[in-house]
Amino acid sequence: MVKKILILTLFLYFLTLLQTSFFIHFSRYFPNLILITIVFINFFAPQNEEWWGIVSAILGGFFLDIFSENFFGYYILISLGISFFINFVLKKYVQIPIIKKI
Amino acid sequence: MKIPLRTKILIIVIAIILISSLNFFQKKVKNFFYLISEPIQKVLWQAGMNTSDFFEAILEVKNLKKENEGLKLKIQELLSENSSLKELRKENEILREALNIGLAKEFQLNLSQIIGKDVSRDSILINKGLKDGIKRGFPVITPEKTLVGKISEVFDNFSKVILITDKENSFDAKVVDSGIYGVIKGKGNFQAYLDLIPKNEEIKEGDLLITTSLGGIFPPGLLVGKVKEVKKLDIEPFQQAEIELAFDIKNLDFLFIITNF
Repeated sequence: MVKKILILTLFLYFLTLLQTSFFIHFSRYFPNLILITIVFINFFAPQNEEWWGIVSAILGGFFLDIFSENFFGYYILISLGISFFINFVLKKYVQIPIIKKI
Repeated sequence: MKIPLRTKILIIVIAIILISSLNFFQKKVKNFFYLISEPIQKVLWQAGMNTSDFFEAILEVKNLKKENEGLKLKIQELLSENSSLKELRKENEILREALNIGLAKEFQLNLSQIIGKDVSRDSILINKGLKDGIKRGFPVITPEKTLVGKISEVFDNFSKVILITDKENSFDAKVVDSGIYGVIKGKGNFQAYLDLIPKNEEIKEGDLLITTSLGGIFPPGLLVGKVKEVKKLDIEPFQQAEIELAFDIKNLDFLFIITNF
C-alpha cells in the first residue's frame, strides 16, 4: 500500500509540474488535470477502497496549494469536497455492477 | 480494506490540522518544493514554449503570406519613421548638452527566469527571491521594457509575480498621444481593460498605453499595451476600453525585476 501511495504522490507531483509549466503554453483555458485525475480516481476506485479517492484528493490538493497563490488548504478543501460529494452520490444513488466487481 | 467512519473522520481532522499548521511556515515549505522542482520546471517551461510554437506555426501558415505583406509595408513605414527619429535624437542630444541635463537615472534591473504559472490566477513563479534582494512590490518588466506585473510574494530563492491582468490588480495609466488618464484593471485569463476614462475624452483603437507615476506602484513610461476596443455606454458614468497587452506570457522566458526606480 505504501508503494501505491508513493507512486500516486509522484504521479500527482509530476502532473502538477506539467500543469504549471508545460500545458500553460497551449491554451489559457486548459483544464485542471489534477482535479480531473482526482474526480477520475474517486469515480473508479473500488467500492470498498474509496479512501483512495480521499488520499488522492489530499495529495492533489496539497500540490496545487504548493504551486498556487492561495493559502495552504484551499485546494485540499476543494478536492476533498469533490471527493466526498462523488463518494456520497455513488453510494446513495449509483449502482454500477462493474465498480462492484473491481 | 474497510475503514470505520469514526476513524475516517479522525484521519481527515488530523490531516486538516496538519495542513492548516503548514500555513505558519508556508514560505519555507513552498521554497523547498520550488527548489527541488526548479530544474524540471525549467525544462518543462522551455519544452512547452517550443511545442506550442511548433503547433502555432503549423496553424498559422495560412496567415503568414498576408502577414508578410503587411509587415513589408510596416517596415517601409518604420524606416521613414526611424530616419525622422534619428534626426530628433540628434536634436535632443544637442539640446541636452545645451541645457546640461544628465541622462535619466536608469533602472536597476535583476534578470530572472519564469519557471511556472499558478493554475487559477494570473500569477507566475520566477527564480529570484529574498537572497537576490527581491522585495514585495517590485515591478517586473520584459527585456523590451513592457510592464508584466509586480512581485506579490517573496520566498528565499523564488518569487511570485502577480500579472497586471490579475483580477486584484489595478493601476494608473495614460494614453501616449492624448495624455488621457485612466485606471487599468485586470480581468483574469491574461485580459485587462482601461476603466474610469472621462466620457468627454476621445480615445481610439490602437492608442498606446503607458504607466504613470500616479500611485507610485510602477515607474512612469513603461509600455502596457494598446487599446483594442472602446466601450461607451450611456448608463455608465465613464468609458471603458479593452486592452491588447504588449506581452504574451506564452512567449516569455526571461524577465527583469526593477529593484530601484
